Amino acid sequence: MRLKPYYLLFRDLIGGLLITLRTFFQRPVTVQYPREKVTLYPSFRGRHALVRDPLTGEARCVACLKCVQVCPSRCIEVKYEVDAETGARKITSYTIEALRCIYCGYCEEVCPVGAIVLTEWFEYSVRKREDAFFTKEKLLQNWDQFVERYPEKVYTNKFWSLKGIPEVLKPAPKRESMCIKVKE
Amino acid sequence: MPEKSLASKEYVYTIEDPFFSPFELQMGPQHPSTHGVLKLNLVLEGERIVDLEPTVGFLHRGLEKLAENLNYAQVLPLTDRLDYISAMNNNTGYALVVERLLGIEPPPRGKYLRTMVCELARIASHLLWLATHALDIGAMTVFLYCFRERERILDFFEKICGARLTVSYPRIGGVRLDVEEKVLEEIYNFVPQMYERIEEYEGLLSQNRIWLDRTVGVGVITAEEAIAYGLTGPSLRGSGVPYDIRKYFPYDAYPEVDFEVPVGKNGDTYDRYWCRLQEMRQSLRIIKQCIEKLPEGPVCTELSPDLDMPFYKRAFRAEAWGESTLIAFLNESIEIMPKGELYSAVEGAKGELGFYLVSDGTGRPYRLHIRAPSFIHISALPKLAKGAFVADLVAIIGTLDIVMGECDR
Repeated sequence: MRLKPYYLLFRDLIGGLLITLRTFFQRPVTVQYPREKVTLYPSFRGRHALVRDPLTGEARCVACLKCVQVCPSRCIEVKYEVDAETGARKITSYTIEALRCIYCGYCEEVCPVGAIVLTEWFEYSVRKREDAFFTKEKLLQNWDQFVERYPEKVYTNKFWSLKGIPEVLKPAPKRESMCIKVKE
Repeated sequence: MPEKSLASKEYVYTIEDPFFSPFELQMGPQHPSTHGVLKLNLVLEGERIVDLEPTVGFLHRGLEKLAENLNYAQVLPLTDRLDYISAMNNNTGYALVVERLLGIEPPPRGKYLRTMVCELARIASHLLWLATHALDIGAMTVFLYCFRERERILDFFEKICGARLTVSYPRIGGVRLDVEEKVLEEIYNFVPQMYERIEEYEGLLSQNRIWLDRTVGVGVITAEEAIAYGLTGPSLRGSGVPYDIRKYFPYDAYPEVDFEVPVGKNGDTYDRYWCRLQEMRQSLRIIKQCIEKLPEGPVCTELSPDLDMPFYKRAFRAEAWGESTLIAFLNESIEIMPKGELYSAVEGAKGELGFYLVSDGTGRPYRLHIRAPSFIHISALPKLAKGAFVADLVAIIGTLDIVMGECDR
């Protein structure tokens, strides 16, 4: 048993207890989750959504398949058809397996038109496995749900701007402001 | 006592010790104080540990093999899942090895930001270590206090990059996004508050007689032995070896900031605890300097590889497929990355986190080996724990600061 000066009169224990006593008079930092919720910061990577174009009412996706190629966990599957006259591509199905997604955000970063986003929505647990497979309709519905709660009038995502590329070299939809009007 | 034998083997009763009656105990993989899924086969005699054999691999996900099938940019989110407590350090380590292979360098602002977030991640990792280590030993209050501060650091990460644990923020050739002035200010204000908090932890623990009894003289390893076992990081510095990659092989903005490397003396659990607390103070110093010196400019170099970089160079068109084209294609140089082998290491929160990369010129790594400090620290566990009490074993596991995600990869 080593005897040190602070061992006398239980100075070490009393000193520690004084520190814990001080927290009696501080405000608690805990958040009572179901009743109160933490504020999520913009660019939080939550539930996936396909951005609905306010002009056409359809998804903005142009079926370039870059997100399919870049996804590290290969959880995106896209089927598209080509318009014979104009040569424009149009998606027929867009599926994301949310169970396999690792939420790296590469898809929203690589998308040239800002069509796919990870929204600031984190409460989407499911009871059935099939519900975690997001189809195109479900993804558009996710966007509508997200926009309903979204407080501001225009939506823009931090990750839509590519890293390290000068403004002139960016594709045209990325060069201009990527804001989407979500409310009139 | 019989000589070295595995815990699973039968012990032979010898003439030297006729009353030796070993008792086998399996600790883990679901034991709360093994910090994950570490399994230990113990051989006990009464309360003393005679022999010990760690079993690893319960969290094996095959990250190294997976990396061979993804391109260089896609491997980066995988490294988040190594040491998931300080993901910034892992990302930086991987980004550095690819940058050195390509011969590119991030712009100064990117370097400073990377250094800053790495140090924030180191503090978060040390806080989690202190919380669980103290909880294992029996100090509940420190656990709650540490998580309070760790929450704030994770909030900073969320503000910076949108994720709290699996950040993917440092990129090959810089960082992903610029940090807003407001967030930088918040981090700057957080630094003096954190100094006070560390003093709080020290006030609770450093002189507490129970803490001293449980840590002083437990799990002693000398400097020579620690080097021989390959310990790095705070576990090595607790034994008095001032080896720190940030000082010896500096990367990013570390040569431009001023900090010290704290070293212990005795190499026991208490010294390692002391070292880590001092390291948190040094990290705060680095963060403060980084924000003060932060230069203007871009955060990511233009030469960084695209996220959707191809595996091979597409030197031919699909219509031109023919025998002659194919042969010409094979003979041509198809390299889109430099060939070669490379090892580079960063000072992770746990120790030396090394990435050994073999490149064959294609867009994906031929082989990526990760030198995980946790894996090597576990190999020193039998040395530290032999002769100790079972109750001290949780202190010894805690003091090595192992993360099974990194160990099993």
